[in-house]
Amino acid sequence: VTDAGSPEARRTREERYAELAVHVGANVQAGQLVDVIARVEHAPVVRAVTREAYRAGASYVDVYYTDQHIRRALIEHAADELLSWTPPWLLSRAKEVGRERAAVVALTGDAEPDLLADLPGERVGRARMLEIAEESNRQINERLNNWTVIGVPNEGWAQQMFGEPDLDRLWKAVEYTVRLDEDDPVAAWRAHVERIGERARSLNDLQLDSIHFTGPGTDLRVGLLPESRWQGVESHTAQGIPYVANMPTEEVFTTPDLRRTEGHVRSTRPLALYGRIVKGLEMRFEGGRIVDVKADEGAEVIEGQLETDDTAAYLGEIALVDGTSRIGKTGLTFFDTLFDENATCHIAYGSAYAEAVEGGVIEGVNVSTVHTDFMVGGAEIEVDAITRDGTALPLLRNDVWQL
Amino acid sequence: MAVELDERLERYAELAVRVGANVEEGQNVFINAQIEHAPLARALTRAAYAAGARYVDVTYRDQHVRKAMIELGPDEALTHTPGWMKERGEALAGAASLWTTGDPEPELLSDLDGARVGRAQMKALAEIGRRHMAERVTNWSGVAYPNEGWATEVFGEPDVERLWEAVAFCTRLDEPDPVAAWRDHMARLETRAAQLNELRFDALHYRGPGTDFTIGLLPTARWMSALFRTSQGREYVPNMPTEEVFTTPDPRRAEGTISSSRPLALLGEVIRGLRLIVREGHVVEVEADQGADVVRSQIASDDGASRFGEVALVDGTSRVGQTGITFFETLYDENATCHIAYGFGIPEVFDGDAGDDLNVSSVHTDFMVGRPELEVDGLTKDGQTVPILRNETWQLPE
Repeated sequence: VTDAGSPEARRTREERYAELAVHVGANVQAGQLVDVIARVEHAPVVRAVTREAYRAGASYVDVYYTDQHIRRALIEHAADELLSWTPPWLLSRAKEVGRERAAVVALTGDAEPDLLADLPGERVGRARMLEIAEESNRQINERLNNWTVIGVPNEGWAQQMFGEPDLDRLWKAVEYTVRLDEDDPVAAWRAHVERIGERARSLNDLQLDSIHFTGPGTDLRVGLLPESRWQGVESHTAQGIPYVANMPTEEVFTTPDLRRTEGHVRSTRPLALYGRIVKGLEMRFEGGRIVDVKADEGAEVIEGQLETDDTAAYLGEIALVDGTSRIGKTGLTFFDTLFDENATCHIAYGSAYAEAVEGGVIEGVNVSTVHTDFMVGGAEIEVDAITRDGTALPLLRNDVWQL
Repeated sequence: MAVELDERLERYAELAVRVGANVEEGQNVFINAQIEHAPLARALTRAAYAAGARYVDVTYRDQHVRKAMIELGPDEALTHTPGWMKERGEALAGAASLWTTGDPEPELLSDLDGARVGRAQMKALAEIGRRHMAERVTNWSGVAYPNEGWATEVFGEPDVERLWEAVAFCTRLDEPDPVAAWRDHMARLETRAAQLNELRFDALHYRGPGTDFTIGLLPTARWMSALFRTSQGREYVPNMPTEEVFTTPDPRRAEGTISSSRPLALLGEVIRGLRLIVREGHVVEVEADQGADVVRSQIASDDGASRFGEVALVDGTSRVGQTGITFFETLYDENATCHIAYGFGIPEVFDGDAGDDLNVSSVHTDFMVGRPELEVDGLTKDGQTVPILRNETWQLPE
């Protein structure tokens, strides 16, 4: 029982969330520069994160607010060559974050998911600061920063999920998925790190050659590299600072061999991409490459993305999630990858995480400017691990972890 | 989904872009706004692109983030300017710039350590701004965004619509053709400035309740309206509204007693009944019914702070004055009536290097002295007295 006058009861949900993001997520160190990236609609959580970061000893908290309406005006009015232009001062800002080995807290949660829907899709797709995307790719691969991404509930997002702006319902769903419903969320995360970490260790011990998904519309073999390392929940910077890059997270994941994916796969959940919803996605792979894309809705968004660069059509991630996933248990589609990818098993085409490979960006590790996760798991999907000596071991049956 | 636009807000933004900053085709445009002003920042962005802007860069600031820094951050954070902000500041040279005011939470910092609040300023960025101002390389303008917090400060209730009506009236947005109305308005203020320049007054004399004050003027300083020009000759109006003609006085010559006629919002406090006793150009004594300490500490902050940097004349035709409202926002209140500022002088009024004629200080605080009972005279070198204002009516031929 919490006394209404106790410090615990006086803390707002934003403060409790911020505490988790700063101490467990980004794990801000005393003396660190802290970079906060958010949309203007995220201000209540941004402010709480800022206060908590200073309490954790941040040397300076640099908050950068973005605004989709400003982006919309750019897409509508600016010259073609400015759509993907990076203002030099913003590139400097991104570089400073790497150079200073800053802690980073990035906030998602789209307040107006349909804002760009009436604009030409081709211009919307091109309107992103390419030099910043490349710079942050580099920083992630060099593991310079302890960072985290959290979702900020807002009315527009709730409207998209529930058909009504039920902000409290969304807050409760988010709090459940990030374990803020627990009496001691920090302890709950410690246990979670341990449990998923143990899964990653046991997969690494098995010396796997590939993962095999079978089910309705799916028969897919994803080849791994001998250097592929399974990871879960907790990551480490090159300097050894532990952090949790995504909150929530339920997956164990690794980087596949980009050359060795064969077969076909049917997506098991809708996918929100660039303001569109892709439904009934099916893909066929040959020699690692996506050679055929079909969907009931939104196939052109995927096809456009796959043409971005030469390596976009190869896999960069494979992740396993079982039925204990809190996101999966909500039964909700969040229309936000941070959440939806943690509902069930997923794979991603595009860039890989070098951290999940012994030796980093070696041959067979994909590098691309895109990275799109889509969901391929579920109760009807059987997942087997194939060891290097050819033995098949069941990993998932009816969403239950078999090891 | 198309964006639903508020027609009045769009027209307001268009006025700020076309008349205020006077954005030139192909220019980069920098917008600085508080996050609570996002609707205005968005409208300004649209208007800037419509005016032919190349690229619009919006940086939002958040007073709560600043508060967290002042309250919980280390000392070094208070004056820190992130490297990228300096780079962005430098990029304003040759560009257009717009900033927004209208504090949604005027009391937000009032419970913090005043010394830390005073120190919390991005010093390097302010320095870049001062340099650009002196080099006249940016066409810029400031406009206010009506919001609930500000409306509550003004009216005691969050009547945003009432505040909007006052703002629309003051900025001539209520006119059928606001751009034409501004052209006429600035031409009238320019005529006044030209008149005053022809008369070559040696000093101004203020006489009224609690006031008997003479301040010297400089042969080197011109009277101006707020119709500014960049070094490239592009005209812009840095403040909307503006009703004043102003000059920089002789920092060595001021004598007497001058009393404020309206409350003044300063560093999170409200100063009422301010009275300054002035000897040989210096404020030597500060009295006030409320808040005297804030003014005293400001005047003590450096050498030039106790000398005067601006005199501005505003008559009863001022739309800000006509509203009868105290806005607790200098952008508005200084345009309600005649005002004077202690602290740094305005370099634009000098044709060449001002030398010692320009007061140097880190502060510049405008306070209102005009009221119907105040008489303002111009004094010529040969001893003539020429009435300028009586009963808030302009006395020189128009």
